[in-house]
Amino acid sequence: MGQRRRTAALKSPSSQRDSGDAAWVPNKKHNICMVSDFFYPNMGGVESHIYQLSQCLIEKGHKVVIATHAYGRRKGVRYLTNGLKVYYLPLQVMYNQSTATTCFHSLPLLRCVFVRERITVVHAHSSFSAMAHDALFHAKTMGLNTVFTDHSLFGFADVSSVLTNKLLTVSLCDTNHIVCVSYTSKENTVLRAALNPEIVSVIPNAVDPTDFTPDPTQRQHDRITIVVISRLVYRKGIDLLGGIIPELCLKYPDLHFLIGGEGPKRIVLEEVREKYQLHERVRLLGALEHKDVRGVLVQGHIFLNTSLTEAFCMAIVEGASCGLQVVSTRVGGIPEVLPEDLITLCEPTVRSLCAGLESVIAQQRSGSVPSPATIHSRVRNLYTWKNVAERTERVYDRVAGEGVLPLDRRLRRLRAHCGPVAGSIFAFVAVLDFLFLLLLQWLVPDHLMDVAVDATGPRGLWSQEKSCKSRFYSKSATKGAAGASSQ
Amino acid sequence: MGPDGAPGQAVPWRKVLWERQSFPDNYVDQRFLEELRRNEGIRHYRYWAVVKEAGFVGQQLSCVAIFITFWLYMEQGLLAPQALLWSSLLCALLGYGLHRALTSGGQPCGEPRTRLADLQSAAIFLSFTFGFSPVLKTLTESVSTDTVYAMSAVMLLAHLLSFPYSQPSPPGSLSLNAALFASVCLASRLPGALHTFAMLSCALLVFALWPCLLQRMRDNAPGHFPGVCVGVCVGGVAGLGSQTLGGAVLLSSALVSVTLLCPLLLVWLQRHKDNIQGPWDEAEIHEDLSRFLH
Repeated sequence: MGQRRRTAALKSPSSQRDSGDAAWVPNKKHNICMVSDFFYPNMGGVESHIYQLSQCLIEKGHKVVIATHAYGRRKGVRYLTNGLKVYYLPLQVMYNQSTATTCFHSLPLLRCVFVRERITVVHAHSSFSAMAHDALFHAKTMGLNTVFTDHSLFGFADVSSVLTNKLLTVSLCDTNHIVCVSYTSKENTVLRAALNPEIVSVIPNAVDPTDFTPDPTQRQHDRITIVVISRLVYRKGIDLLGGIIPELCLKYPDLHFLIGGEGPKRIVLEEVREKYQLHERVRLLGALEHKDVRGVLVQGHIFLNTSLTEAFCMAIVEGASCGLQVVSTRVGGIPEVLPEDLITLCEPTVRSLCAGLESVIAQQRSGSVPSPATIHSRVRNLYTWKNVAERTERVYDRVAGEGVLPLDRRLRRLRAHCGPVAGSIFAFVAVLDFLFLLLLQWLVPDHLMDVAVDATGPRGLWSQEKSCKSRFYSKSATKGAAGASSQ
Repeated sequence: MGPDGAPGQAVPWRKVLWERQSFPDNYVDQRFLEELRRNEGIRHYRYWAVVKEAGFVGQQLSCVAIFITFWLYMEQGLLAPQALLWSSLLCALLGYGLHRALTSGGQPCGEPRTRLADLQSAAIFLSFTFGFSPVLKTLTESVSTDTVYAMSAVMLLAHLLSFPYSQPSPPGSLSLNAALFASVCLASRLPGALHTFAMLSCALLVFALWPCLLQRMRDNAPGHFPGVCVGVCVGGVAGLGSQTLGGAVLLSSALVSVTLLCPLLLVWLQRHKDNIQGPWDEAEIHEDLSRFLH
């Protein structure tokens, strides 16, 4: 069923390309709530995306709060740089930092946040986060506009992806707008959730170029160093790396590997190092803090990425920003990320990656590669958080001009879009959610709830009394805070 | 970049993120999803090939029926344990010879077990079973007969469900244990200790050794394999038919549906297969990377 809709949607590409223009309300300020299970102290692409985007939106005068689940003893309300308020809600974590979902239990807390902060747009992140889906569900029940950002790619072949794709279909069928980080990710999400591609925008991730500047003096010139920075897991292709290392090390005696990251596949690299006696030439640095990444990158000549799947690879942009030659597998959204002359794309096989690396090594030897400063100057303006924030702002403007489906139309849409069985079940759940909301509104009416003090933004309370506490958090908690706040 | 930029047709859209293009972020190009591939490298099943493979399932079902038939005969005193023991011994020797012949005819194994080792394990098993058969005989005395029957039925079903049909040699530990559990339960309801011993030896023959021989036959003499399966099925239905007609009808309808109807359904459902592949799929590592480690 979804298939037919998909092809029908394809037949008329960009027919209403500028349809959003009519509803445009420029310079409107939004009250945005970012919701995801993944936030500091967890570290990763989604976490830094939420943080950096929030900071840039605050700079632009919007009000932003973040809702996530409690991490250990970190619960309650915390403030980050520029008065960015984070709610660590006491929800039970189930698996892999994702909360358990019952569709209902998070409604009282999230309603509290949405009402107190006068939220107009709920922006959920990551399809792995149950809390994000819960928040979308409740926001639609409460009549708020919703935006969802998908950060990952999914297959279609196995049972688990069949189930998660169905849940995504349910979750996104009445969401106002969806953001993907690459065109491949957009195709994937449109297929998974059977969406109209017109309501899916592509806004890539960004890298703070001031954090990743080249420094050729750190390189050792009697050798060629290949840097790998990734979590050491199967999906990052560490098994391929375990084949590349002996192959190339036997061929080039002056070749060194510098590997940053930790994970279950570390044992593979250790075995290879042991078997071929490469202890001096293959250094495993273990888990790196984000602030140390640049110090490792600048020691290398070549950045190698062996991922087997990737929606948008931030690591290769960081590598190129530090002036390294980038060699990567041609998977997922990676071919879209860097111009062809800055990246060598290979098939995900040991042979192809070795051939790619050898050609780059030969260029490096002959000195025909551009200087690190040249590469940095080309990459530095490709992906900036400011640009991401501007484009996300357009999405919010567009969404603010759209209506939220009332309950009856939402139920009809669920049943028409998600199949008779799942659609009916979730329509029932939506009705229960609505009744629960009515109960809560009767118990604690909206007008009796205190409005939270708006501290964020240039005109917020925070800028009037700069507290040392927030600065302390910004130093320890978040990366690139200085760069974001100085813009 | 934004939807308000006027996209000139002279500049075609490109699927790249690094270039700021004059298209809105939600622009959908003609080339959207052009890398989508459907049903790539799919295996098309042919009906008779599937029927042949399903024959293994059918004959295993019949093996269980044959075993139950023996038990029914023993319980009613129509079959003397001595007769079952002697015929089991004969079958075992014949099967052993056949297994040897098929093994030497096929590929030479790395280190073939010697006849002495085979004899040794057979002797150990037989002596232990013989020694323990009085114990096994009284094992379930305090349990009601209905419970024993229900338990055996569940265990035989578990045996059929967990049987490793694609690689039956050696039989999977779960399926073998379930079958032996069921046979101990059934054997303990027989009149004497020798009956129990005969029944357990027969169970070992049917559930442990026969699948090994059949696997050898499927690998090394594929021409004779369907015939053997049909023979076992006919034997199962005839044996059960001599005791209960209803059971024989049930068994034969089960055999028909498993070996003829289910493959038909599989082949028919193939046309509805819609497998989507594209650049978002996780790449698979096809190389043998263990050579770098060992």
